[in-house]
Amino acid sequence: MKLFVTIASAGLLLVAVSASAHHSFSAEFDIDKPLTLEGTLTQWEMINPHSWFHIDVTNPDGEVVPWMIEGGSPNQLIRMGVTQNTIPVGTLIVIEGYHARDGTNTAVGRNFTLPDGTRLFLSGSAPQ
Amino acid sequence: MNHRLFVSGHLVAALLMMGLVGATPVRAQSPDSSPANAYTPPRTPDGQPDLQGFWTNSTYTPLERPDGVTTEFYTPEGVAETEARAGAREAEQTVPGTIPDVHYDFTQFGLDRSQTTMARSLRTSLIVDPPDGRMPAMTEEGRRRVARREEEARLRGGRWDSAENNQLDDRCLIMRTAGPPMLNTSYNSNYQIVQAPGYVMILVEMIHDVRIIPLDGRPRPNPRVRKWMGTSRGRWEADTLVVETSGFNGKNPFNGSSENMSVIERFTRIDDDTILYNFTIDDESTWTQPWSAGLSMKKIQGPIFEHACHEGNYSMYNTLVGARLEEQLAAEEAAKQEPN
Repeated sequence: MKLFVTIASAGLLLVAVSASAHHSFSAEFDIDKPLTLEGTLTQWEMINPHSWFHIDVTNPDGEVVPWMIEGGSPNQLIRMGVTQNTIPVGTLIVIEGYHARDGTNTAVGRNFTLPDGTRLFLSGSAPQ
Repeated sequence: MNHRLFVSGHLVAALLMMGLVGATPVRAQSPDSSPANAYTPPRTPDGQPDLQGFWTNSTYTPLERPDGVTTEFYTPEGVAETEARAGAREAEQTVPGTIPDVHYDFTQFGLDRSQTTMARSLRTSLIVDPPDGRMPAMTEEGRRRVARREEEARLRGGRWDSAENNQLDDRCLIMRTAGPPMLNTSYNSNYQIVQAPGYVMILVEMIHDVRIIPLDGRPRPNPRVRKWMGTSRGRWEADTLVVETSGFNGKNPFNGSSENMSVIERFTRIDDDTILYNFTIDDESTWTQPWSAGLSMKKIQGPIFEHACHEGNYSMYNTLVGARLEEQLAAEEAAKQEPN
């Protein structure tokens, strides 16, 4: 597992949404600090208004660092059958997102995938 | 009852009889379909028309008719196109490094409306009266009030200066799904209706607000009693639940309204899966005339899930801390620029 803190490549296919939301994400997270994290899920707080994914990321020097990643309201995931059992603790996930302005190990997860590139939740189908 | 509302309520009923198509699912819009007349809703044990169950008012139809649209209805092809466009906006791939990109992906969490049950309509706006599909002009008093509120907000400081300066939904106090009028928000626009003898209860998923509506004609409380969602009184007119609400506290203005706003809502179950929901707003101190809108509530599978917003609202802390840090960095930068 590695920690990548990179400027996101413009060539990547990045998926995100500008839909109206509960609060201003750009006030919470730093547009100038995009990052990619790969780590092991240790806890998934399925709470409102936003779910939080806790992952352990292993730095190149072997140090294990806990991160908290903000995701969407869990209600619709639960409604579609996605639960904490679907994505069990211990799952290795890759998260692209933006670092919190306060510099703590907190980020918003723009895109959640498994290491093989599969999107984390089955619900991730864009409308046709 | 307020005379303006009384007149307007009947006008809306007439409009909806003529234009029921607008708030009815697309599939029920064949010319020979007249669900409002043909359908008899089931009854509760105490004889009320049964509205109970789980419902959503999720829709892509906007409250007001969009600029450049001049017709009351889209063609089926036209509405499909606008829905696809709206869906694409919710799922769009944004440009890295832009503000809209600082977010989680709605489609991953199933929060885009196209992944949920949704009320479909050919209408170009939820507003049916005035006929132009737009809210009526504001009165001078209404404009002054809006300007005064903006000035008060300015004097309180920036949005991130304090928790109190955040928006009501940022603070997990109330969202627009609660109403009345109950309007959809971008996700979790879900409700549960439960009826008991003499009461209708509406549980709103967002913030888990609850409306308890007595049907026994009891008097209203002292007008000095003011509430976030007002005080509601209900009655049945044939198979339609009519709910009149006033006594708002003015802290959650609806599109500029005052605490004097009155709302009349009408709930009519028009088939097993649909409740027609219409409302008329009257606030003489804000708008030059009452105005009315309608949408459908579609049946969904329960249960409602708790939306305990405040206890999980880490975002408030993160945002305020981030703002203080930005201020500190800016101050340090400014200090560097000052001549010694």
